[in-house]
Amino acid sequence: MAEATAPQVFTRRASGLVRVMSPYSAFVYNILTMGIIFPWTFIWAPTALQGSNLILGIIFAFLFELPIALAYVWLATALPRSGGDYVFQSRVFGGGFGFTVVFAFFVVWILQWVALSGWLLAVLGIAPTFIGLGVTTGTQVFTDIGSWAASTSGIIIISIANALVSLVLLVSGFRNYVRFQYVMWYAILVAFGIVLLLFFTTTPSAAAAKLDAFVGSVDGVQGFFATARSAAEAAGVNFNPPFWLFGTLLVAPIAWTSLQWATYSSEQGGEIKNAHVFRQQVFIMVGALAVTASLLILLALAMQKGIGQEGILIASSGYWLGVPEATIGGNFMFPNLMAMAFTSSPIIVLLIGLGFILNSFQIVCNCYIGTTRIMVAMGLDGLLPDWFAKVHPRWKTPVNAHVAYFIGAIPVILGFNLVPEWTRWTLGVTFANGAVMTLSALAAALLPYRAAKLYEASPGAVYKVGNVPLVTIVGIAGFVFGALMVGAFLFRPELGLAYTADSLPYLIVLGTALLGIIVYAVMRQYRASQGLKVEYAFAEIPPE
Amino acid sequence: MRFLRKGRPGGEPTKIFYASDIHGSEPTYRKFLNAARFYEVDALVFGGDLMGKLLIPIVRDAGGTFRARLQGQDHHITSEEEMVAFKRALQTLGFYWREMDPEEYRTYEGDQERIDGLFDVLAAERLREWVALAEERLAGTHARVYLCGGNDDTDVVLSAIDQEAQDRVVNAENRVVPLDDEHVLVTVGYSTPTPWSTPRERTDDELKVIIEDLLRDIEDPSRAVFNFHCPPLDSGLDTCLKLDASVWPPTPVLERGQPVHYGAGSQAVADALTAYQPTVGLHGHIHESRGIATYGRTPAYNPGSEYGEGVLRGLIVAIRGGEVLGHQFTSG
Repeated sequence: MAEATAPQVFTRRASGLVRVMSPYSAFVYNILTMGIIFPWTFIWAPTALQGSNLILGIIFAFLFELPIALAYVWLATALPRSGGDYVFQSRVFGGGFGFTVVFAFFVVWILQWVALSGWLLAVLGIAPTFIGLGVTTGTQVFTDIGSWAASTSGIIIISIANALVSLVLLVSGFRNYVRFQYVMWYAILVAFGIVLLLFFTTTPSAAAAKLDAFVGSVDGVQGFFATARSAAEAAGVNFNPPFWLFGTLLVAPIAWTSLQWATYSSEQGGEIKNAHVFRQQVFIMVGALAVTASLLILLALAMQKGIGQEGILIASSGYWLGVPEATIGGNFMFPNLMAMAFTSSPIIVLLIGLGFILNSFQIVCNCYIGTTRIMVAMGLDGLLPDWFAKVHPRWKTPVNAHVAYFIGAIPVILGFNLVPEWTRWTLGVTFANGAVMTLSALAAALLPYRAAKLYEASPGAVYKVGNVPLVTIVGIAGFVFGALMVGAFLFRPELGLAYTADSLPYLIVLGTALLGIIVYAVMRQYRASQGLKVEYAFAEIPPE
Repeated sequence: MRFLRKGRPGGEPTKIFYASDIHGSEPTYRKFLNAARFYEVDALVFGGDLMGKLLIPIVRDAGGTFRARLQGQDHHITSEEEMVAFKRALQTLGFYWREMDPEEYRTYEGDQERIDGLFDVLAAERLREWVALAEERLAGTHARVYLCGGNDDTDVVLSAIDQEAQDRVVNAENRVVPLDDEHVLVTVGYSTPTPWSTPRERTDDELKVIIEDLLRDIEDPSRAVFNFHCPPLDSGLDTCLKLDASVWPPTPVLERGQPVHYGAGSQAVADALTAYQPTVGLHGHIHESRGIATYGRTPAYNPGSEYGEGVLRGLIVAIRGGEVLGHQFTSG
């Protein structure tokens, strides 16, 4: 035998475990979860942080998220099972902590995303598509449908339908979703590509003229661009602000609200093929992060080329400063809506609209997929009633958890759209979701010490710097960056909870945490009455 | 004097810890034994599949070093410390190993019969050590460990249980044995046919006969705990990917590009749970299908398995008077 050739492994006839989701599907899933088609950063940051550099801010967000995503790679390969953050944090910090954090800050707060995805579907998917079709084909009924979709009743009905259709798709079998995901993926890529192309092939002056004509057809407003510019300036927009480095750093948490979802596939690690293979998880999570960050940077470059900094600031003023003159048909000037104004082709409008509609639908699917897997894991661990953990024998899906989440989403959808103060009350959503991921990065840092045997058996254990596990280094870096961004959501008025001086948003965050603690305490007591301890669900038995 | 005896109505509940499919993993088995003290249970019930699936030849190289292949990576072992660490990783993963010269390695290449023989030798050796370890660990306690095989184990290897069992270890394989003062444990280690053509598979009709033979002499089946390796068909405890057995290794069956899930359990087991309404059904076999199903009054469980990561997936179930008082899945 040649020295350089290693001997092969001997096998025998024994059964094996096979999983359903390919690494490529998981990679696509993460990109779609980041919502490349709804880049909030572009309508939020330019006027909230005047003088900041959008592209640099996205690069900072990528660099800050990178160690967090790497920390997840270690966690996902050491614990390749469904339940993700709940499993990671329960294993490292203990069940009470893991349950409270993930139940309160993910399961409860992601209900807001169900409502938001319905709003996105109605306001940024269906409404602009039909308004665009109305303008390009001269058909009033399309414009009327578009206007209805953006009305309160339209948004509520579309949001509930969005959640219901997603429920039916996911309950019918996970493979049906995986199959449909490819349709969504290619439709979204086509839409995103068209948007890029339309921005890259126009100039700011031509874009202003096209927007004027488009808004003239939609709203009957003449000289839209100049009017919107004046209104934005009156509202406090400086069209020639000096560069602001700290403001640029503060763009990072905003861009992070998209990029932080690069690791969301970890919630269904038990369904991903070769989930324990290190380089596979690097591709799934870090790869998705890099691709999405690149696409966002590309979009920023395209917007600068197409409508210039002036156009970007006007679009942002409609959202952040609430300038009504800087909206189109009552909608914020997201890149897709502006792109629709740049074309006279109803087919192009339809293709862009379809991409946005499907990405909105994909986001609500993601809400269900991630949270139901977490609820099933919690149910099996005895921290939610067993009912949540039941899998339908025919469809092989957690029907009860799906139905519970749909029912839970209804009041949130109604509140989101009917209660004027709702958005202000729920400013904690960015903080809450970010906190989960930041704490998971810390869990990764502590994995070699809090779950030593588990860590030693994981493929990432071979990576060290000196005697220090590399996961501890990236985990600490991820935790520090994550904590800084979560801290920014807590204390910076441009970013979240501190937007108003009101303490209510903070109290609501605390209230959800308290809810998690109460549910844990009740279930713990209930299990104790059966002579069982829920702590057993997580406690590692010493082998010796 | 005990007026109210273990497991009887009004008495103390019997707490069972159940785990399955550890496939040769040393730390997982050691955790299983320690579960008696850790979870304060009365009985450790194992649900089958004790044997590991891979054997790693560690081949002597020039200069006293060794070469081996593990998880797709080549390993060049150059020191005693590296060898200890390498073998520890193999123990966690449930793999067997053998140090050998290149000449010996060549005698195994392409000879599956010889390889299977070596598997049996190493697996029986490990199982004897495990039974002895159980006797040692549980000595002086009231807890017993009930062992059996699964479809992946060979009869030759399983004979090691009877050879070594003394006071604390009970060979439960295809037997009815007392569990406490009230309940009996009925164990069937076979599974329905799999795409992998594993050593101990039976058709559903054969399983039905085996189960009925075992239950024939039981006075009150409602006081029986079914420890059937194979889960009931289409219960949600048996969901896995459908595989094409015409190729080796079997590959997922795709429909319009997507893999197909199906229930790989046993109709005979489902029928037995429905007809006899035992206290509880304990099942393994399908590692990825952790969950609960209900047959009339009878709950059936599969705690799943993650032996390869050294994680012991298990279930604590408290029973009394033929009823389940509560359950708790564990991940230890």
